[in-house]
Amino acid sequence: MSIIRGKSTDIVAFISSPMTWVKSLMFLEEENRLLREKDLVLSLQVESMLNLQKENDQLQAMLDFKKKTKLLLKPAHVVNKGIQPNLLSIVIDVGTNDDVHPNQPVLTPKGIVGKTVETGKNASIVQLISDVNYRLSVRILPSGATGILRWLGDRKAQIREVQKNVDINIGDKIITSGFSKIYPAGLPVGKVAGVYDERGSFQKIVHAILPNDMSSFQYVFVIIEESNEME
Amino acid sequence: MRWNEFIIPGIAIWLIQLLIADFLALKTIRPDFMVILVLYWAIKHGRLAGTISGFLIGMLIDLSGTASFFGLSPLIYSVTGYLGGYLMGSYSKLNPFYFSLAWVCILAFQFFIFCMVQYQNIWYVDPQIFWTKWIGTTLYTLCFAGIIQIVYPLHKLN
Repeated sequence: MSIIRGKSTDIVAFISSPMTWVKSLMFLEEENRLLREKDLVLSLQVESMLNLQKENDQLQAMLDFKKKTKLLLKPAHVVNKGIQPNLLSIVIDVGTNDDVHPNQPVLTPKGIVGKTVETGKNASIVQLISDVNYRLSVRILPSGATGILRWLGDRKAQIREVQKNVDINIGDKIITSGFSKIYPAGLPVGKVAGVYDERGSFQKIVHAILPNDMSSFQYVFVIIEESNEME
Repeated sequence: MRWNEFIIPGIAIWLIQLLIADFLALKTIRPDFMVILVLYWAIKHGRLAGTISGFLIGMLIDLSGTASFFGLSPLIYSVTGYLGGYLMGSYSKLNPFYFSLAWVCILAFQFFIFCMVQYQNIWYVDPQIFWTKWIGTTLYTLCFAGIIQIVYPLHKLN
């Protein structure tokens, strides 16, 4: 069945590609303007980051850091968003030919959007974070509390199995915990929007806001490898 | 029964759903033209044809990029085909209002099963979000079904 689904994904991606091209042209001018603005902002950021990197290198040398984690990212274009009446999965234009395999994390610069579940030669199906079967082990910073994230609707999500005695505040950052073979630690997920005590339980419920609008992104990245390089 | 009556419209509507439905999306909700097609087929050809075509259309949908619950679409589209088949030839026997109410209820039931499975955790956490999802999905497709009624009414199939 997996082979059939992989082949059918390739066909769907091939049929959808002209429409994706038309869609890209429609948004080209707007995208160009946004990119110019982004370019300016990033140039300024790069300047300050270069200074920070120098400082960081010095500090790392001082602490004798041995390992450095590096993620290998594969950019992909969203060619189709499924044909179900609700958006629960997408098809992207990279597959096994591009070293993309099932169970690899998919993200945008804002944060995690899902993972690959089926791959063809040139296309893959991505299970979105908005799918009912999707769960993500996360860590809330700065408290360090961990929990399991599930989607709740639109850009809202809920984190359960969070210890009651930890201090969590609205606006705290949520990242992947690393307690997973799929997701490396430290990938951005969202921000805390609310904290609730579950009556009669030793756990808290945390509500989160996800940064990605599931209906709008056109480009994603697939993390195809997490290599540990010795300095 | 000619196979062309199924194959050509089936492929045409699948392509429309695949390529155009995303342009008509309201946030994450999109119109479902495939279910309207299954309903038309069921009312025109009866329960057996409706169920089989619903199953095949459902398979086609699941093979077009479904991440989880593979097999849910064949189930719900078969249900729609089966229930829609009961309306074959019934326009002359039923009050037009009840005839219309019947197919609206069939579509609503199909989306209810879909949402019940896809949003089962939301049902427990916040039923209001669940109802909003279900009503939103159903109403949006019903709007398009209503527009198609003006051009090609269901009762003309009888």
